[in-house]
Amino acid sequence: MAYAYLFKYIIIGDTGVGKSCLLLQFTDKRFQPVHDLTIGVEFGARMITIDGKQIKLQIWDTAGQEAFRSITRSYYRGAAGALLVYDITRRETFNHLTTWLEDARQHSNSNMVIMLIGNKSDLESRREVKKEEGEAFAREHGLVFMETSAKTAANVEEAFINTAKEIYEKIQEGVFDINNEANGIKIGPQHSTAGAGGAGGAGAGGAPPGGCC
Amino acid sequence: MNFLKSGIKTVLGAPEPGQQPSVAETVERLVERASNSTLLEDRRDACRALKALSRKYRLEVGAQGLDTLRQILELDRADNETINYALDTLNNIVSPSQFEEEEDKPNIPMNIGDQFTEMFIKDPHNIQLVLDLLDEHDFRVRLSTVQLLISLLTNRTKDIQEIILDKPMGVSKMMDLLGDTREVIRNETLLLLIKLTKGNANIQKIVAFENAFDRLFEIVSSEGYSDGGIIVEDCLLLMLNLLKNNSSNINFFKEGSYIQKMLPMFNIPEESEEVGWSPQKVSNVHCMLQLVRTLVSPSNSAQIISNCQKIMKNVGLLDALCNILMASGVPADILTETINSVGEVVRGDASNQEFIGNVIAPSYPPRPAIIVLLMSMVNEKQPFSLRCAVLYCFQCYLYQNEVSQASLVQTLLPSSSDVSNLTSGQILCGGLFSSDVLSNWFSAVALMHALIDNTTQKEQLLRVLLATNIGSNPVSLLHQCTTLLQQTTKLQSKVALLMLLSQWMSSCPAAVSAFLQVPGGVGYLVNQTCSNEHDDNEYLLQGMSAFLLAICINFNDDSVQTYSKESLKQLLVKRIGVEVFTAKLSEVCKHELYNKAAKHPQLRVGCPVDVLIDYEFCRLFKSLEGVLSQSLETRAVNGGGAGEADLEQYKALIRQQDARLHELVHQLDALAQQAQGLQSALNDSLAANSLLKDENTLLKAQVSANSIPTTQPAATQPPLPDPKLGEYEERIEQLNDEVTRLNGEMTRLNEEVSRLKGELKAAKDEEKNSAEEMEKLKKDQDDLLYLLANYDSKTNEYKLRLLQLGEKVEDDEPTDEENLT
Repeated sequence: MAYAYLFKYIIIGDTGVGKSCLLLQFTDKRFQPVHDLTIGVEFGARMITIDGKQIKLQIWDTAGQEAFRSITRSYYRGAAGALLVYDITRRETFNHLTTWLEDARQHSNSNMVIMLIGNKSDLESRREVKKEEGEAFAREHGLVFMETSAKTAANVEEAFINTAKEIYEKIQEGVFDINNEANGIKIGPQHSTAGAGGAGGAGAGGAPPGGCC
Repeated sequence: MNFLKSGIKTVLGAPEPGQQPSVAETVERLVERASNSTLLEDRRDACRALKALSRKYRLEVGAQGLDTLRQILELDRADNETINYALDTLNNIVSPSQFEEEEDKPNIPMNIGDQFTEMFIKDPHNIQLVLDLLDEHDFRVRLSTVQLLISLLTNRTKDIQEIILDKPMGVSKMMDLLGDTREVIRNETLLLLIKLTKGNANIQKIVAFENAFDRLFEIVSSEGYSDGGIIVEDCLLLMLNLLKNNSSNINFFKEGSYIQKMLPMFNIPEESEEVGWSPQKVSNVHCMLQLVRTLVSPSNSAQIISNCQKIMKNVGLLDALCNILMASGVPADILTETINSVGEVVRGDASNQEFIGNVIAPSYPPRPAIIVLLMSMVNEKQPFSLRCAVLYCFQCYLYQNEVSQASLVQTLLPSSSDVSNLTSGQILCGGLFSSDVLSNWFSAVALMHALIDNTTQKEQLLRVLLATNIGSNPVSLLHQCTTLLQQTTKLQSKVALLMLLSQWMSSCPAAVSAFLQVPGGVGYLVNQTCSNEHDDNEYLLQGMSAFLLAICINFNDDSVQTYSKESLKQLLVKRIGVEVFTAKLSEVCKHELYNKAAKHPQLRVGCPVDVLIDYEFCRLFKSLEGVLSQSLETRAVNGGGAGEADLEQYKALIRQQDARLHELVHQLDALAQQAQGLQSALNDSLAANSLLKDENTLLKAQVSANSIPTTQPAATQPPLPDPKLGEYEERIEQLNDEVTRLNGEMTRLNEEVSRLKGELKAAKDEEKNSAEEMEKLKKDQDDLLYLLANYDSKTNEYKLRLLQLGEKVEDDEPTDEENLT
């Protein structure tokens, strides 16, 4: 399916904070209470619309366990956006945010948009991290902040779309070099007709519309 | 070091004085200069010399120089020439292949490159050194670095993969090289990435994330797709590595619209017939077909398969594949692989199956492609692998599709009027009874796939009649199959027919009944099962016959009187015996070819002799074996319900005893009543007796009182009292007798009563015992349940403890916070 832009995201954060569930809720609109441990990295994709433009999101859901940390690092460089997730019912996942942020800043390109997410907002009775604390952390480090629930789907859509909006604005401002694919942004086929690879464009145009994406 | 040196000296012989210095000494001097000289030129010259020696004397150079070379990589980065010499020397030392120069040196171990690799990677930092050199833009350095990495990866794939994964930018750096404008480096990088991605899902994902598919498709397209050189093949091999068994990457490939980009690969120009196919083109197209099959492989998840199949149809890929199928001049192995690919693209997808059902071949007269394919399948002259591919494709065409299954059977039914056209059914029937064994096998299996999970078609196929000889009555297909089974001596045909009949008759009582009516059918199966030949194939035949026999019993609706469910069971028990029967049944899945076939829907055999068992038969066998052997056990011991059965038994016993008790009580009542009646009769008799006695006394008194006055009358009437008295006495005597008899009767009755009372007591005791036993069983059950609960909680406790100890417990979401920083 044709798109104006393609953004690559990664989802990072401690194990068990609900990264895979957020992705599943966003791509498949369902919640799976019992989820296998993510091994390495899993992939998901969805199309959204911003400013009347079709934008394809390619999302890599990483494993939170320490053992996979070095694998996760390989994904920072090529991503345009990152969702940094903690669990509002487990204080230590909030405490580890600094480490995650350092890692991300060190290995990613400087323009990567990072969205801070306090997940499991449906478990109000077991809350250990106040919303204000999350907001303060985000303010301090220049992140966008949101509390979500992968279970009830509250704010899940918004989290992914707002990140995309932020990236989109940066493109409009000319901050991102959209011709460098290492930034995690790709221009859709109809934009690149002037480019050198003409054969690819023709192939995509010939495909019947209404695919299964 | 000294030890090694002395070791080499012993190998080469100690240097004799006055002679030229030995190799070891030369190497030693060079190594020393490379590591200690303060002049860059000196170090460079030493490296150059080492490089020159490293092919012929790699043992010496490696043993003495490895550390120094490593050190040069770190410290002399500024001088590309020196670095380059060092890299080349290292590459020679660890090279996995033997050099020409080494051929006359038998004392060099075969795995010497491997051993030096192990020494080199002992410190993972060395790999980092090599990876850092990839940043160097110099052509020679970059190329040598890539080549060194290839050698290292060839020797120690797994170890080096892990080390590289651990370096944050390791994989990314190599991916960047794909964009190098110098083709030599790009091409060498392709080889490196193929080695790097082999069997490591994490690296595969990172490579895919780093836009590998975009880069590779760009290269493939710039090289001219299938007409490109070996570079195209390398690109495709890398893509295959990235996708094989990696569902995340397949998902990414599908979502990234890369399936569309495969389309130009399958454009076969019209003139290819005259030009012919170059070997490279054959390899390229073969890889492309592998790529298609990797995406829709039956071993992927159902969702991925179905998504990819739909996209392939929508973007015209299936159409392109069918064009190759129908094109002329396509080499046989490409044609074979295309047929397999088409099969997997349509397998289980109704719309794709319908699509190939409608493809018309450009033949005269025009025929459906399916017909043309089937004709090749039953043609002895066609290559074996092609015939297998057609069978697989046809199986995929029928797979889970009632419409295509029905249309095949339809062509065999008498109602179909159009006789002029050759139909798929006719081809298969022809193949089934042809003299070519493989045709028999292929046709029987193809026909069998029209019946899988489809009771309607099983019944429809029963209606098929065959005209065997002119003049004789037509016989049913099932009859003919059964007859053939008895007549043929060929193993493959027998197995094929047994598979067909098993699939046909399972869950279809009508087919079972039809089979039972065929003369000799059952007898043949029984004889086969009883047969005592010792040979793997004979075991298989015995087992399969047993299987079919069990199907005859299990799906029997008792419509054939001579072979009702019960009578067949009796026959089996008497002639074969249940245990022997079960043992024979279990032989089937011990056959080597059964296990091979059970692994994959596609028949994967190298030679015609190995064509024996079909995947779907294995599935049928697996699903029925348990049910069938269980249904034959006369006394079903259903494991879990053992306690229940016992309980039921006791209940029945108690019920029995209860009934007996009731009966006895009734008898007792009746007897008591009788006794009462007798007692009252006795009382009456006694009363009458005493009355008579009184009367008697009175009369006697009267007699004595009237003796004088009555002497006269007595004299006058002496005969009068006399007879009366006698009469009375007689009567008394009679009554006395009666009393004695009654007394006897009473005693007997009393005895009877006490006996019954005893019996009653015994019955009551027995009842009590049973009740107690039941109580005990219940208690045992409770104890077991409690024990089970106990174990359960203990298991949980252990799991928790394991978790605390940092061990991973599979089915739990671990909360091992101590694993986190």
